[in-house]
Amino acid sequence: MKLNERSVTHYALSDSPADHTGYLRTWGGPGTPPTPSGTGRRCWFVLKGNLLFSFESREGRAPLSLVVLEGCTVELAEAPAPEEFAFAICFDAPGVRPHLLAADGPAAQEAWVKALSRASFGYMRLVVRELESQLQDARQSLALHRHSSWKAISSRCKPQAPDCWSLGLENGHSLPRDCSPMGLVEEGSSRSAGRGLAEWELQGPASLLLGRKQSPVSPETSCFSTLHNWYGQEIVELRRGWQQRARGSKAGCEEQVRL
Amino acid sequence: MRYNEKELQALSRQPAELAAELGMRGPKKGSVVKRRLVKLVVNFLFYFRTDEAEPVGALLLERCRVAREEPSGFSISFIEDPERKYYFECCSEEQCQEWTEALRQASYEFMRRSLIFYRKEIQKMTGKDPLEQFGISEEARFQLSSLKA
Repeated sequence: MKLNERSVTHYALSDSPADHTGYLRTWGGPGTPPTPSGTGRRCWFVLKGNLLFSFESREGRAPLSLVVLEGCTVELAEAPAPEEFAFAICFDAPGVRPHLLAADGPAAQEAWVKALSRASFGYMRLVVRELESQLQDARQSLALHRHSSWKAISSRCKPQAPDCWSLGLENGHSLPRDCSPMGLVEEGSSRSAGRGLAEWELQGPASLLLGRKQSPVSPETSCFSTLHNWYGQEIVELRRGWQQRARGSKAGCEEQVRL
Repeated sequence: MRYNEKELQALSRQPAELAAELGMRGPKKGSVVKRRLVKLVVNFLFYFRTDEAEPVGALLLERCRVAREEPSGFSISFIEDPERKYYFECCSEEQCQEWTEALRQASYEFMRRSLIFYRKEIQKMTGKDPLEQFGISEEARFQLSSLKA
């Protein structure tokens, strides 16, 4: 089966944060017997997302192996050598042998088993969905609260609104506290997408979201993917403009745009 | 790089986010469009010959760029070599839209960013860390510092 190995290697070596790293002893590899024996081989392991890579050493530039952590369970195991802190990655699939690994000590063993057990895409998706719904709840209860206090505060806040708005953005607070009802309806001042993007990267677009009347993303939308797509479209348009202006140059914005 | 093909084959049999027969053309110069059953499973895109049970190949979708290609297709390329593109042809604008949207959100890194975004927002709104109740607030994969500025 073909695999885009160059890209996979690039991802493994990239500076995107690893979820766990460390030295582990491993059995299995070219020329090793089907049943693990001996002390195994010490390699540097890197867990990124649902992918476990091994390297010859910490400085290694080419992964030795890849294990895709989907459809597997991680269990404590017996190592061929005594007193090893071993565990195994076991797959449901027929004909797939478990990967036997051993850590340097009990703390490392526990940390690895935990990290690997939670590495699947499904686990991450579960947590994301949970937070998505929690955010929706928080927004709804906030909207209700605002609605009830709207009449009381609105007249007081009106003249200050534009300052509150920009202040909100500067401070990175999504809710300018002293004029929160205005935040919902005040039309957003013109924003440069570059700034918007930077804010998004650092704080999340909620601050822009709550104030924008024209936004296709209403305050009820708590879905990151919708925001993502909306910004994506805007970015595509901007890039066209940039590229027209900076003809021929490799768009440095490519890095900005990419996720 | 060693990997167990059987692990990937097993993964390709998992329920897919999206699956369809599309035209596909590899990145090499002079490659032709072939009909392939294309299947999106977690952060992998598998492609099969239409009459075969095992995939011809797989693409890991981390750090990829999905772009529209006229008339109704899209391409996937990777950050380290943006000119090297895998081309896909859809049968309609709707199908193309469906695929590009799904593929852009298919990476683990995209999910991580979503999670960090939601976590931050909830913290801002409620003053509480939503992950604490699950006892996972210290996990490396959920850290706010994970976001590249």
